[in-house]
Amino acid sequence: MIVTKSIADRVKEMPMLSVVSTRLLELLGEDNYSIRDVVSIVENDAILTTKILRAANSVAYSPRVPITSVTAAINNMGEKVIMGIAIESCAPKVFKDPLGGYMSEAGQMWDHSLCTAIGARQLSSYTIKESSSNLAFTAGLLHDIGKSVMSVILEGNTEEMLGHIDNGEAVSFLDAEKKIAGMDHTELGYELAQHWKLPEQLAMAIRYHHHPQDVDDKYKDLVYTVHLGDILAMMAGIGTGVDGLAYSIDRTYKDYIEIREDELAIAVADIQEEFFKTKQAILGEETE
Amino acid sequence: MGINYIGIGDFAVSNKPDDIIKTMALGSCVGIMLYDPKLKIAAMGHIALPDSKVRGQRGMDKPGRYADTGIPLLAKAMLNKGSKRGRSLIVKIAGGAQINDPNDTFNIGKRNVLAVKKILWKCSLILKAEDTGGNIGRTMQVGVDTGEVTLSSPGRSKWKL
Repeated sequence: MIVTKSIADRVKEMPMLSVVSTRLLELLGEDNYSIRDVVSIVENDAILTTKILRAANSVAYSPRVPITSVTAAINNMGEKVIMGIAIESCAPKVFKDPLGGYMSEAGQMWDHSLCTAIGARQLSSYTIKESSSNLAFTAGLLHDIGKSVMSVILEGNTEEMLGHIDNGEAVSFLDAEKKIAGMDHTELGYELAQHWKLPEQLAMAIRYHHHPQDVDDKYKDLVYTVHLGDILAMMAGIGTGVDGLAYSIDRTYKDYIEIREDELAIAVADIQEEFFKTKQAILGEETE
Repeated sequence: MGINYIGIGDFAVSNKPDDIIKTMALGSCVGIMLYDPKLKIAAMGHIALPDSKVRGQRGMDKPGRYADTGIPLLAKAMLNKGSKRGRSLIVKIAGGAQINDPNDTFNIGKRNVLAVKKILWKCSLILKAEDTGGNIGRTMQVGVDTGEVTLSSPGRSKWKL
C-alpha cells in the first residue's frame, strides 16, 4: 500500500511553531550561542518561564532558596534541562502524544528523544574533530520528529511491517516504513523540518540520522553523534516501540568518532543516570 | 497482588505468591530471573553492562547495573529471603539485543550475554532457559507463585520462557 500522496498534506496540517519556538530553535541550531540569548527569548514566554521555574524548584534539584528567575534556574540546572523544556514545549503534540503506529505509549517518544539527546551530547566529546555538544543535544531531541506524522500512516499496518522484517524482505524498519508509506521517518522528518523552517543543520540531522555517511561533509560530525546517540538510547530500552532495534549501524562512524569499548561502557552508564535525572527535572515534580 | 517494576540496574526479590516482578524494555540489557521452586521465592535483576571494573577510580554507581556485581547481589537477595545455598535454583535470562556493529565496539548486547553466562557459572547457577540476541526489545516478568517467566515485545504476542 503506497500512501505517499497524502503525506505532503499531513505535514502541512501539522501546527506551525510559535514565534518564540521558531526563534529559539533558530538560536539552538547554531554552533555557538550565548545562554543569555536563550534567556531573553524564554523570558518572552510566560508558559515556558513557568515550566522552567517549576523544574528548578522540583524535587530533583531541591534548591535551598526558591529559584525565581530564568538565569538562576540555568545556573542551578544547567543549560540542557532548559533546552529540553524549551524544545518540548515548542511541539508538545509531537513529543507527548502516543505513537499508535509504533505501538508506543504517550511519553515514550519524548523519553527516546531526550535519551538520544543526552547520548549525542556525550558522544560529541569523542568526535575526532571538535564538535558542538549543545547542537548535538538539540539535534538529538529533534531527530525523530518524522515519527509523529509517520505513526498515523503506519497505524493498523504493524503486523505487516513486522512480517516484512521477520522474513527478511525489509532489512531495517526504514525499509518496512517505505513499503507501507512510500517513504521513511527520516524523509518525513525532513519534510516537517522544512515546514517548520528549522535551521539547515538540524534538518540534516533529522534526515540522515540513520545514514550519516550520506550527509554533506560539513554536517557529518553532528549527524554521527546523533546516529550513535539514537542507537545507545534504543539499546538502553528507551526506544519508540515496535521498531525496537531493527536498524543498522553506519560502520563508517569510526572515521568521525573515536571511542574505546571501556569508554563506551562508562558513557552508557552516565547516559542512563543523566537521562533519569534530567527526565525527573523536566517533569518538574513540585517539592512539598 | 503487586507488580514490582524494576528499572535499569535495579533488582527485586519476593516470596509473596501474588506478586509479579517485571522489567520493561530490555534492549541490549539482560534480565536475570532466579527462582527457588521449593520455597517459591523469585528474584529479578536488570543489568546494563558486563563489568563494573570499567569505572576504575570513579567508584561504584549502581552495583546492579553490572553483571559481575549484580548477579552476586541477586543471589544474596535470594539467600536473605530464606533460600539456602546449594539449593538448585531455576535461572532464566532474556535480552541482549543489539544493532550489529561490524567494528564490534557497540556490540554491548552480545558482551552482556557472555558476561552474564560467565558470572552465573562462577556463582554455580545453572542456566535453564534464555531468549537473547536479535533486534527486538523485550519486557520480562515472573509470577512468584509459579516461577513462570513471560516475555513480550511491542507488536508481538506474549511468549513463555
